[in-house]
Amino acid sequence: MKQFALWLSTTAPSVFIQEHNAWTIPAIQSVHIVGIALVMGSVLMIDLRILGWAWVDQTLRQTVDRFGPWLTGSLWLLLATGILMVVGEPVRELITFSFWLKMALVAVGALVAVLFQRALRRHDQHWEDHFASQPSIKAFAIVTFLVWAFVIVLGRLIAYDYVWGSWSPAARQ
Amino acid sequence: MDIASTLDWLQQTGLAVQIRDSLFTFPLLEGVHVIGLALVFGTIAIVDLRLLGMASTSRSFQRLAADTLKWTWAAFAVTALTGVLMFITNAAVYFHNAYFRAKVVLLVVAALNVLLFELTAGRTVKQWDRAPAAPPLGRAIAAVSLVVWVGVIVTGRMIGFTATRAAAAAPAPVDTNFEDLLGLPAPGDAPTPEP
Repeated sequence: MKQFALWLSTTAPSVFIQEHNAWTIPAIQSVHIVGIALVMGSVLMIDLRILGWAWVDQTLRQTVDRFGPWLTGSLWLLLATGILMVVGEPVRELITFSFWLKMALVAVGALVAVLFQRALRRHDQHWEDHFASQPSIKAFAIVTFLVWAFVIVLGRLIAYDYVWGSWSPAARQ
Repeated sequence: MDIASTLDWLQQTGLAVQIRDSLFTFPLLEGVHVIGLALVFGTIAIVDLRLLGMASTSRSFQRLAADTLKWTWAAFAVTALTGVLMFITNAAVYFHNAYFRAKVVLLVVAALNVLLFELTAGRTVKQWDRAPAAPPLGRAIAAVSLVVWVGVIVTGRMIGFTATRAAAAAPAPVDTNFEDLLGLPAPGDAPTPEP
Protein backbone atom coordinates (compact mmCIF):
# COMPACT_ATOMS: atom_id res chain seq x y z
CA MET A 1 0.00 0.00 0.00
CA LYS A 2 2.87 2.32 0.83
CA GLN A 3 4.40 1.60 -2.57
CA PHE A 4 1.07 2.26 -4.27
CA ALA A 5 0.58 5.49 -2.33
CA LEU A 6 4.07 6.68 -3.25
CA TRP A 7 3.51 5.80 -6.91
CA LEU A 8 0.14 7.55 -6.89
CA SER A 9 1.75 10.67 -5.48
CA THR A 10 4.03 10.86 -8.56
CA THR A 11 1.18 10.78 -11.10
CA ALA A 12 0.26 13.96 -12.96
CA PRO A 13 -3.13 14.61 -11.30
CA SER A 14 -1.59 14.11 -7.87
CA VAL A 15 1.30 16.42 -8.66
CA PHE A 16 -1.12 19.08 -9.87
CA ILE A 17 -3.14 18.93 -6.65
CA GLN A 18 0.05 19.00 -4.57
CA GLU A 19 1.54 21.94 -6.47
CA HIS A 20 -1.64 23.97 -6.00
CA ASN A 21 -2.47 22.63 -2.56
CA ALA A 22 -3.07 26.08 -1.12
CA TRP A 23 -6.48 26.10 -2.81
CA THR A 24 -7.07 22.60 -4.23
CA ILE A 25 -7.10 20.75 -0.90
CA PRO A 26 -9.37 23.19 1.00
CA ALA A 27 -11.69 23.48 -2.03
CA ILE A 28 -12.04 19.70 -2.46
CA GLN A 29 -12.49 19.21 1.29
CA SER A 30 -15.18 21.93 1.41
CA VAL A 31 -17.19 20.29 -1.39
CA HIS A 32 -16.72 16.97 0.43
CA ILE A 33 -18.18 18.54 3.60
CA VAL A 34 -21.15 19.95 1.65
CA GLY A 35 -21.68 16.41 0.32
CA ILE A 36 -21.65 14.80 3.75
CA ALA A 37 -24.01 17.54 4.97
CA LEU A 38 -26.52 16.61 2.25
CA VAL A 39 -26.15 12.94 3.19
CA MET A 40 -26.71 13.68 6.87
CA GLY A 41 -29.73 15.88 6.17
CA SER A 42 -31.29 13.24 3.90
CA VAL A 43 -30.55 10.31 6.22
CA LEU A 44 -31.87 12.29 9.20
CA MET A 45 -35.17 13.05 7.47
CA ILE A 46 -35.75 9.49 6.22
CA ASP A 47 -34.88 8.12 9.66
CA LEU A 48 -37.15 10.64 11.41
CA ARG A 49 -39.96 9.55 9.09
CA ILE A 50 -39.36 5.89 9.97
CA LEU A 51 -39.36 6.82 13.67
CA GLY A 52 -42.57 8.81 13.15
CA TRP A 53 -40.99 12.05 14.43
CA ALA A 54 -41.25 14.09 11.22
CA TRP A 55 -42.80 14.07 7.73
CA VAL A 56 -45.73 12.10 9.19
CA ASP A 57 -48.15 13.81 6.75
CA GLN A 58 -46.13 12.16 3.97
CA THR A 59 -45.94 8.45 3.24
CA LEU A 60 -42.63 6.68 3.69
CA ARG A 61 -42.53 6.32 -0.09
CA GLN A 62 -43.03 10.07 -0.60
CA THR A 63 -40.31 10.85 1.94
CA VAL A 64 -37.86 8.44 0.32
CA ASP A 65 -38.73 9.76 -3.15
CA ARG A 66 -37.89 13.28 -1.85
CA PHE A 67 -34.59 12.46 -0.11
CA GLY A 68 -33.38 9.22 -1.69
CA PRO A 69 -32.07 10.81 -4.91
CA TRP A 70 -30.30 13.54 -2.90
CA LEU A 71 -28.75 10.87 -0.70
CA THR A 72 -27.55 8.81 -3.66
CA GLY A 73 -26.40 11.88 -5.62
CA SER A 74 -24.46 13.19 -2.62
CA LEU A 75 -22.78 9.81 -2.20
CA TRP A 76 -21.50 10.07 -5.79
CA LEU A 77 -20.26 13.61 -5.05
CA LEU A 78 -18.48 12.28 -1.95
CA LEU A 79 -16.92 9.46 -3.96
CA ALA A 80 -15.63 11.91 -6.58
CA THR A 81 -14.20 14.41 -4.10
CA GLY A 82 -12.94 11.56 -1.91
CA ILE A 83 -11.00 10.08 -4.85
CA LEU A 84 -9.51 13.53 -5.54
CA MET A 85 -8.35 13.76 -1.92
CA VAL A 86 -6.74 10.31 -2.08
CA VAL A 87 -5.04 11.21 -5.37
CA GLY A 88 -3.86 14.54 -3.95
CA GLU A 89 -2.56 13.18 -0.66
CA PRO A 90 -2.20 9.41 -1.09
CA VAL A 91 0.18 8.77 1.79
CA ARG A 92 -1.79 10.91 4.22
CA GLU A 93 -5.02 9.07 3.39
CA LEU A 94 -4.08 5.48 2.59
CA ILE A 95 -1.52 4.86 5.32
CA THR A 96 -4.03 5.33 8.12
CA PHE A 97 -6.29 3.07 10.13
CA SER A 98 -8.99 5.78 10.21
CA PHE A 99 -9.31 5.83 6.41
CA TRP A 100 -9.82 2.08 6.00
CA LEU A 101 -12.26 1.79 8.90
CA LYS A 102 -14.10 4.76 7.39
CA MET A 103 -14.23 3.02 3.98
CA ALA A 104 -15.66 -0.13 5.59
CA LEU A 105 -18.41 1.90 7.27
CA VAL A 106 -19.06 3.92 4.09
CA ALA A 107 -19.55 0.61 2.25
CA VAL A 108 -22.07 -0.48 4.89
CA GLY A 109 -23.88 2.89 4.82
CA ALA A 110 -23.99 3.10 1.03
CA LEU A 111 -25.17 -0.51 0.70
CA VAL A 112 -27.97 0.14 3.20
CA ALA A 113 -28.93 3.35 1.34
CA VAL A 114 -29.16 1.57 -2.03
CA LEU A 115 -30.83 -1.65 -0.83
CA PHE A 116 -33.32 0.19 1.37
CA GLN A 117 -34.42 2.47 -1.47
CA ARG A 118 -34.71 -0.45 -3.87
CA ALA A 119 -36.69 -2.58 -1.40
CA LEU A 120 -39.02 0.28 -0.53
CA ARG A 121 -39.76 1.16 -4.16
CA ARG A 122 -40.54 -2.47 -4.98
CA HIS A 123 -42.78 -3.20 -2.00
CA ASP A 124 -43.79 0.22 -0.78
CA GLN A 125 -47.24 -0.79 0.43
CA HIS A 126 -45.80 -3.63 2.45
CA TRP A 127 -43.30 -1.24 4.02
CA GLU A 128 -46.00 1.29 4.91
CA ASP A 129 -48.30 -1.34 6.38
CA HIS A 130 -45.92 -3.71 8.13
CA PHE A 131 -42.20 -3.02 8.13
CA ALA A 132 -41.98 0.66 8.95
CA SER A 133 -43.67 0.37 12.33
CA GLN A 134 -41.53 -2.50 13.56
CA PRO A 135 -39.14 -1.73 16.43
CA SER A 136 -36.29 -3.52 14.63
CA ILE A 137 -36.63 -1.21 11.60
CA LYS A 138 -36.72 1.83 13.88
CA ALA A 139 -33.59 0.63 15.67
CA PHE A 140 -31.99 0.04 12.27
CA ALA A 141 -32.79 3.64 11.30
CA ILE A 142 -30.98 4.92 14.40
CA VAL A 143 -27.99 2.63 13.78
CA THR A 144 -27.78 3.84 10.17
CA PHE A 145 -27.67 7.45 11.32
CA LEU A 146 -24.95 6.63 13.86
CA VAL A 147 -22.91 4.85 11.15
CA TRP A 148 -22.82 8.06 9.09
CA ALA A 149 -22.01 10.16 12.17
CA PHE A 150 -19.11 7.80 12.93
CA VAL A 151 -17.99 8.06 9.29
CA ILE A 152 -17.67 11.82 9.80
CA VAL A 153 -15.61 11.41 12.97
CA LEU A 154 -13.34 8.88 11.21
CA GLY A 155 -12.91 11.26 8.30
CA ARG A 156 -11.64 13.87 10.71
CA LEU A 157 -9.44 11.33 12.49
CA ILE A 158 -7.48 10.66 9.29
CA ALA A 159 -5.58 13.80 10.28
CA TYR A 160 -5.04 12.38 13.78
CA ASP A 161 -4.42 8.71 13.11
CA TYR A 162 -2.17 8.46 16.18
CA VAL A 163 -5.35 8.16 18.30
CA TRP A 164 -5.41 4.48 17.26
CA GLY A 165 -1.98 3.88 18.77
CA SER A 166 -0.30 0.79 17.35
CA TRP A 167 -3.28 0.13 15.06
CA SER A 168 -2.16 3.08 12.98
CA PRO A 169 0.15 1.89 10.19
CA ALA A 170 2.05 5.16 10.53
CA ALA A 171 3.03 4.14 14.07
CA ARG A 172 4.65 0.96 12.83
CA GLN A 173 7.03 2.59 10.37
CA MET B 1 -10.38 43.65 30.84
CA ASP B 2 -9.19 44.31 27.32
CA ILE B 3 -9.45 41.80 24.50
CA ALA B 4 -5.87 40.52 24.76
CA SER B 5 -6.14 39.69 28.44
CA THR B 6 -9.59 38.17 27.95
CA LEU B 7 -8.25 35.90 25.22
CA ASP B 8 -5.28 35.04 27.41
CA TRP B 9 -7.56 34.27 30.34
CA LEU B 10 -9.68 32.00 28.14
CA GLN B 11 -6.62 30.03 27.07
CA GLN B 12 -5.51 29.61 30.68
CA THR B 13 -8.82 28.29 31.98
CA GLY B 14 -8.71 24.75 33.34
CA LEU B 15 -11.00 23.55 30.57
CA ALA B 16 -8.79 25.00 27.83
CA VAL B 17 -5.68 23.49 29.38
CA GLN B 18 -7.38 20.10 29.70
CA ILE B 19 -8.42 20.06 26.04
CA ARG B 20 -4.94 21.19 24.96
CA ASP B 21 -3.20 18.57 27.07
CA SER B 22 -5.31 15.72 25.74
CA LEU B 23 -4.31 14.05 22.48
CA PHE B 24 -7.88 12.89 21.92
CA THR B 25 -10.23 15.68 22.97
CA PHE B 26 -9.49 18.17 20.20
CA PRO B 27 -9.86 15.64 17.35
CA LEU B 28 -13.13 14.42 18.86
CA LEU B 29 -14.38 17.99 19.23
CA GLU B 30 -13.60 18.52 15.55
CA GLY B 31 -15.45 15.33 14.64
CA VAL B 32 -18.56 16.32 16.58
CA HIS B 33 -18.29 19.86 15.17
CA VAL B 34 -18.42 18.42 11.63
CA ILE B 35 -21.41 16.18 12.51
CA GLY B 36 -23.18 19.27 13.86
CA LEU B 37 -22.41 21.53 10.90
CA ALA B 38 -23.36 18.77 8.46
CA LEU B 39 -26.78 18.57 10.11
CA VAL B 40 -27.06 22.37 10.18
CA PHE B 41 -26.32 22.70 6.48
CA GLY B 42 -28.19 19.55 5.51
CA THR B 43 -31.40 20.67 7.22
CA ILE B 44 -31.14 24.34 6.21
CA ALA B 45 -30.68 23.25 2.60
CA ILE B 46 -34.02 21.38 2.81
CA VAL B 47 -35.77 24.60 3.89
CA ASP B 48 -33.90 26.82 1.41
CA LEU B 49 -34.58 24.50 -1.53
CA ARG B 50 -38.28 24.50 -0.58
CA LEU B 51 -38.28 28.33 -0.52
CA LEU B 52 -36.55 28.37 -3.91
CA GLY B 53 -39.16 26.01 -5.33
CA MET B 54 -36.54 23.35 -6.10
CA ALA B 55 -37.60 20.52 -3.76
CA SER B 56 -40.61 19.45 -1.66
CA THR B 57 -42.62 21.99 -3.66
CA SER B 58 -45.97 20.29 -3.06
CA ARG B 59 -45.60 20.24 0.71
CA SER B 60 -46.75 22.97 3.11
CA PHE B 61 -43.78 25.22 3.88
CA GLN B 62 -44.80 25.64 7.48
CA ARG B 63 -45.06 21.90 8.07
CA LEU B 64 -41.70 21.35 6.39
CA ALA B 65 -40.10 24.13 8.44
CA ALA B 66 -41.61 22.74 11.67
CA ASP B 67 -40.23 19.27 10.87
CA THR B 68 -36.80 20.57 9.98
CA LEU B 69 -35.73 23.72 11.79
CA LYS B 70 -35.83 22.35 15.33
CA TRP B 71 -33.13 19.89 14.26
CA THR B 72 -31.19 22.76 12.70
CA TRP B 73 -31.22 24.59 16.01
CA ALA B 74 -30.29 21.50 18.01
CA ALA B 75 -27.41 20.79 15.63
CA PHE B 76 -26.36 24.46 15.72
CA ALA B 77 -26.17 24.30 19.52
CA VAL B 78 -23.84 21.28 19.30
CA THR B 79 -21.73 22.98 16.63
CA ALA B 80 -21.50 26.25 18.57
CA LEU B 81 -20.56 24.48 21.81
CA THR B 82 -17.80 22.42 20.17
CA GLY B 83 -16.69 25.54 18.29
CA VAL B 84 -16.34 27.52 21.52
CA LEU B 85 -14.42 24.66 23.15
CA MET B 86 -11.98 24.58 20.23
CA PHE B 87 -11.69 28.37 20.24
CA ILE B 88 -10.65 28.64 23.90
CA THR B 89 -7.73 26.24 23.41
CA ASN B 90 -5.99 28.83 21.28
CA ALA B 91 -8.15 31.93 21.58
CA ALA B 92 -5.58 34.61 20.72
CA VAL B 93 -4.52 32.90 17.48
CA TYR B 94 -8.07 32.21 16.31
CA PHE B 95 -9.17 35.72 17.22
CA HIS B 96 -6.55 37.26 14.93
CA ASN B 97 -7.05 34.74 12.11
CA ALA B 98 -8.56 36.29 8.99
CA TYR B 99 -10.62 33.19 8.12
CA PHE B 100 -11.98 32.97 11.65
CA ARG B 101 -13.08 36.59 11.42
CA ALA B 102 -14.61 36.06 8.00
CA LYS B 103 -16.49 33.05 9.35
CA VAL B 104 -17.87 35.08 12.27
CA VAL B 105 -18.97 37.81 9.84
CA LEU B 106 -20.71 35.19 7.67
CA LEU B 107 -22.47 33.74 10.74
CA VAL B 108 -23.72 37.26 11.58
CA VAL B 109 -24.90 37.67 7.98
CA ALA B 110 -26.71 34.31 8.25
CA ALA B 111 -28.43 35.50 11.44
CA LEU B 112 -29.45 38.84 9.88
CA ASN B 113 -30.70 36.90 6.87
CA VAL B 114 -33.02 34.85 9.11
CA LEU B 115 -34.18 38.05 10.81
CA LEU B 116 -34.91 39.64 7.43
CA PHE B 117 -36.93 36.56 6.45
CA GLU B 118 -39.01 36.75 9.64
CA LEU B 119 -39.70 40.44 9.01
CA THR B 120 -40.65 40.02 5.34
CA ALA B 121 -41.66 36.77 3.63
CA GLY B 122 -42.17 35.07 6.99
CA ARG B 123 -44.99 37.50 7.82
CA THR B 124 -46.99 36.54 4.74
CA VAL B 125 -46.28 32.81 4.96
CA LYS B 126 -49.97 31.89 5.12
CA GLN B 127 -50.45 33.34 1.63
CA TRP B 128 -47.73 31.23 0.01
CA ASP B 129 -47.51 28.26 2.40
CA ARG B 130 -48.83 25.92 -0.33
CA ALA B 131 -47.28 27.73 -3.29
CA PRO B 132 -44.39 25.87 -4.94
CA ALA B 133 -41.96 28.67 -4.03
CA ALA B 134 -41.66 31.69 -1.73
CA PRO B 135 -42.17 35.26 -3.00
CA PRO B 136 -39.11 36.79 -4.74
CA LEU B 137 -37.58 38.25 -1.56
CA GLY B 138 -38.03 34.92 0.21
CA ARG B 139 -36.29 33.16 -2.66
CA ALA B 140 -33.45 35.69 -2.59
CA ILE B 141 -33.03 35.15 1.16
CA ALA B 142 -32.91 31.38 0.60
CA ALA B 143 -30.23 31.76 -2.09
CA VAL B 144 -28.18 34.03 0.18
CA SER B 145 -28.55 31.49 2.98
CA LEU B 146 -27.15 28.65 0.87
CA VAL B 147 -24.21 30.76 -0.33
CA VAL B 148 -23.43 32.09 3.15
CA TRP B 149 -23.48 28.62 4.74
CA VAL B 150 -21.17 27.23 2.06
CA GLY B 151 -18.95 30.24 2.88
CA VAL B 152 -19.06 29.28 6.55
CA ILE B 153 -17.90 25.77 5.64
CA VAL B 154 -15.07 27.03 3.41
CA THR B 155 -13.78 29.63 5.90
CA GLY B 156 -14.11 27.09 8.71
CA ARG B 157 -11.98 24.63 6.80
CA MET B 158 -9.42 27.36 6.07
CA ILE B 159 -9.06 28.12 9.79
CA GLY B 160 -7.70 24.61 10.20
CA PHE B 161 -5.00 25.27 7.61
CA THR B 162 -3.93 28.64 8.97
CA ALA B 163 -4.54 28.85 12.71
CA THR B 164 -3.31 25.73 14.42
CA ARG B 165 -0.94 26.03 17.33
CA ALA B 166 1.89 24.69 15.16
CA ALA B 167 1.23 27.45 12.62
CA ALA B 168 1.28 30.06 15.35
CA ALA B 169 4.54 28.84 16.85
CA ALA B 170 6.49 28.74 13.59
CA PRO B 171 5.04 30.60 10.64
CA ALA B 172 5.65 28.55 7.54
CA PRO B 173 5.31 29.36 3.85
CA VAL B 174 1.75 30.25 2.89
CA ASP B 175 1.25 27.16 0.77
CA THR B 176 2.24 24.75 3.53
CA ASN B 177 -0.35 22.61 5.25
CA PHE B 178 -0.14 22.58 9.01
CA GLU B 179 -0.89 20.09 11.64
CA ASP B 180 -1.60 20.39 15.24
CA LEU B 181 0.92 17.78 16.20
CA LEU B 182 1.30 17.95 19.94
CA GLY B 183 4.26 15.74 20.72
CA LEU B 184 4.00 13.77 17.53
CA PRO B 185 6.73 12.49 15.26
CA ALA B 186 8.20 15.20 13.12
CA PRO B 187 7.15 15.39 9.46
CA GLY B 188 9.16 12.83 7.56
CA ASP B 189 8.92 10.17 10.26
CA ALA B 190 5.27 9.72 9.48
CA PRO B 191 2.81 10.88 6.89
CA THR B 192 2.20 14.49 7.79
CA PRO B 193 -1.46 14.94 8.47
CA GLU B 194 -2.96 18.36 8.31
CA PRO B 195 -6.10 19.59 10.02
